[in-house]
Amino acid sequence: MEQQLYGIFLYGVFLLTMGGIYAVLTLGLNIQWGFTGLFNAGVAGFFAIGAYTTAIVTSAASERHLGGYGLPVAAGLVAAMVASAVIAWGVGRICIRLRADYLAIATLGIAEIFRLVLKNEVWATNGPRGISLIPKPFEHLPEPWNQVGMLLLVFAVVAVLYVLLERARRSPWGRVMAAIRENEAAARAAGKDVERLRIEAFVLGAALMGLGGALMAHHIKFIEPNAAEPVSATFLVWVMLVIGGAANNRGAVFGAILIWTIWSTAEILSARLPPEWAVKSAYLRIFLVGLALQIILQRFPGGIFRERRFRTAPSSSTREQPP
Amino acid sequence: MKKTMIAAAAAAAALALNGAVATAGEVKVGSAAAVTGPIAELVVAIVNARNLAATHVNEQGGLLGGDTYTLVPGDSQCDPKAAVDAGAKLVNVEQVVAIIGANCSGATNGMAQSVSIPAGVVMLSDTATAPSISELDDNDLVFRVATSDDLHGRTLAQRAWDHGYRKLAVTYATDDYNSGFAEVFAAAFTALGGTITGNEAHEPNKASYRAELATLAGAEPDGLVLFAYYGSSGITILRNSLENALFGKFLGADGMMDNSVIEQIGADNLRGNIMLSQPASATGSPPYEAFAAAFEATGNAPDAPFVAHSYDVSFLAALAIEKAGSADRGAISAALREVANAPGTVILPGEWAKAKAAIAAGEDINYEGASGPIEFDEKGDVTGTYTLNGVGDDGTWTPVM
Amino acid sequence: MIEFLNFYLIPGLVLGSIYALGAIGVTLTFGILRFANFAHGETMTLGAFIALSLATFTGWHPFAVLPIAMALTALAVLGMDRLFFRPLRHGSTIILVIASFGLMLMVRSLVQLVWGAQLRSFGQGIDLPWVLFDALRIFPKHVTIVCAALVLMLAVHLLLSRTRAGKAMRAMADSPDLARLTGIDTERVIVTTWIVGAGLAAAAGVFLAYDTHVESQLGFKLLLPIFAAALLGGIGRPYGAMAGGLVIGLVEELSTYPWIGSEALVPPGYKTGVAFAIMVAILIWRPSGLFRGRVF
Repeated sequence: MEQQLYGIFLYGVFLLTMGGIYAVLTLGLNIQWGFTGLFNAGVAGFFAIGAYTTAIVTSAASERHLGGYGLPVAAGLVAAMVASAVIAWGVGRICIRLRADYLAIATLGIAEIFRLVLKNEVWATNGPRGISLIPKPFEHLPEPWNQVGMLLLVFAVVAVLYVLLERARRSPWGRVMAAIRENEAAARAAGKDVERLRIEAFVLGAALMGLGGALMAHHIKFIEPNAAEPVSATFLVWVMLVIGGAANNRGAVFGAILIWTIWSTAEILSARLPPEWAVKSAYLRIFLVGLALQIILQRFPGGIFRERRFRTAPSSSTREQPP
Repeated sequence: MKKTMIAAAAAAAALALNGAVATAGEVKVGSAAAVTGPIAELVVAIVNARNLAATHVNEQGGLLGGDTYTLVPGDSQCDPKAAVDAGAKLVNVEQVVAIIGANCSGATNGMAQSVSIPAGVVMLSDTATAPSISELDDNDLVFRVATSDDLHGRTLAQRAWDHGYRKLAVTYATDDYNSGFAEVFAAAFTALGGTITGNEAHEPNKASYRAELATLAGAEPDGLVLFAYYGSSGITILRNSLENALFGKFLGADGMMDNSVIEQIGADNLRGNIMLSQPASATGSPPYEAFAAAFEATGNAPDAPFVAHSYDVSFLAALAIEKAGSADRGAISAALREVANAPGTVILPGEWAKAKAAIAAGEDINYEGASGPIEFDEKGDVTGTYTLNGVGDDGTWTPVM
Repeated sequence: MIEFLNFYLIPGLVLGSIYALGAIGVTLTFGILRFANFAHGETMTLGAFIALSLATFTGWHPFAVLPIAMALTALAVLGMDRLFFRPLRHGSTIILVIASFGLMLMVRSLVQLVWGAQLRSFGQGIDLPWVLFDALRIFPKHVTIVCAALVLMLAVHLLLSRTRAGKAMRAMADSPDLARLTGIDTERVIVTTWIVGAGLAAAAGVFLAYDTHVESQLGFKLLLPIFAAALLGGIGRPYGAMAGGLVIGLVEELSTYPWIGSEALVPPGYKTGVAFAIMVAILIWRPSGLFRGRVF
């Protein structure tokens, strides 16, 4: 029994670590969508750039892929954010003028092209075989401290991001962003350089996605193109943000952990089925996840946490979701 | 509203945890497989083969003092993120003694490095062929009966050369299994003195490959070496090649070995034109036939990709637990080598009662698997035996010389 | 030259007509219901499997059971709309996108539960082509697919141009507010949209399955090129979607032709990327698509 409880504790640590990494991604998406109204459907692309950057920077030398500089994890995390930001700046320069749905489809396409590059440029990324032996922080500590250490690191990152983003939301910069989202023409008329501000939000969000990807690479100690496929690296993040509540940082974190918990624990239920169902139980689990999504969406069509309006804002009573 | 949701969640959690506690008389082993995801169509038979081994164990006296051998499913989705999550559940919530799986090399790698090695749980892979698995710092916890692509690729190149091929075109699916294989094959074939007229990747799951094939056929090679899974691109490529008379001769590996290939393309179209290398004991050898007969009796095809390996890992995990004498994670690694490696009383697939009696009598045993003799080296790898298969007169995969 | 026709142009046309049928549904839902329907690919898979079961059960040719399969798929999609989209219709569109994502997961796993994940196919063996002029290779199945696709596109054209329901659909795709003001019954238009979109998706699924094989991820794998086709043609423009589908199908195949020297122009590993690259380029330089669709 004691062993059982300890096991459940350890699983809880894994669950929250993964949920926390998704929270970093969701916070990044929240800057883009929630605060600025940029429909980025290419989360997986920036996730992958971050993950591969840190893998190349921190892993030991290998002839299978580029780099292998063996730098500390912290350097990897910073490099991941910088790389994602730089590429996001380039993408943003080209695409930022597109309207919501069009931006979504463009970013989705760009992310898929990134994934093809990761698969095909074998000299740099080892292609579909991926990069192995990525160092994990605290991995040399005895169990459970190795896993708990990783969890604390992820939580510390989420906490710092949350505080900074809350501050940014209330800052003049955050208010201008909300203004652009609500009424772009008015913001333009007020003399704001809308395009530049949007690129800023896009780049900042992408940097966080890169950070999320890097944390994931260190957590699973391995990265390959399949890890950046759109279902679990883009759409799932969107589900988390929309269900948690767009434009609300607390909602973004809560949504990430809630949806990841549903995604993960559904399997514990489906694994209870008799062995003849060993294959079907996995399908059933995905069905249950889809159904849970629909139920939550219908119960909370505006997300579980609503956007918190500025006290100074005119109290237009019923506001729709972002555009 | 909130209350009902919380209540529902609590009920679900209680149910899950209640089930998770091992009932007395049960030994759990995690069965991690990519049931959903890009290779879903391959994995059905793989899971069936693993379950067959469990049935054999349970029908012939069970584990240890008559306990049930239970395989707990975990869906690795061919994605290392999902695999780590599935592994964390198997190791911690289900408290499995060991893990078999997790299919794709990347998923296996992630699960091993992040979950099973730190927890001291043995992982026994049936299908991970990437060389990087051998390089893991694994405290002797990661084993596999799938052979590394390195060896398989070189063997296939030699066989192709022996069959008189000198100029070959290569196409491979951009996944971890097939791309590495193609690289090794091309290098080895060139080293033998052969010519690779073209070596092109193809993106799986497209509706047509006529354009790629026409480009490759332009250099007029003797045949096409096709590294693909039959479902995601292999059958389409065969069909496109034959229908358009682009290629007539094919070489490939076990990712293509499935009855559906013969069913869909037609035995007459393939007979004499295709050779696939499969890392398994030769058909006709006692270990393979023991497995094949039993697997066929359950309505499955024994020559589907990797099913022999999947049966073996499931059976081996049970043998190791029996040998260790307890469902203790720490004892599995050493026991696994003892039951798999020579010398000892030879045990064939399905011979659980015999193995159990031999272990009880204190004898050393040596499992000869459906996938090969299975002798683990210091890295936990095996040296494979490979069989070259073609389509026989009866329309099934049959060894060729 | 003849190789170009046989191996690049004709396959591109076949693939293009399948994309076109799928893209009509996407563009109509996008234009009329205002959201990108991620479950559209699963509709194709569902249609293909329904047709497979009907064909196995009756022993008829897949094209003979196609109308029934289209009708059943449309019925299933109407049920999904009632359960999962209608309750959310008055919220923001992102909620509908997320709901379609949830539905995608549900339909795919249902298909896997009912039909399994293994490959199935309508026929066995290989077809040999008709060889014309000693060089041109034409496959009977490709002729039937392209002809059937043309018939369906003609039917869509007649529906849109000759019937009240079709005109109402076009009006709503152009300007929903105006359409509502002129007294168009929006719920009815939505029902028609789903029926047309789902029926064509089922047909596209069956055609692809007839050309290759069917498995549970058939539709999902087509989803992104179909989005690209819809966008290329201009959102809300069914004729644009037809053209867009053909263009994407052709360009994907033609990109690997050795235009310069003897090497493929685009390495085949990047073939899928071509559709996305075109899509992004169109978005940037001509966001209304080739056929001047709506720009939101």
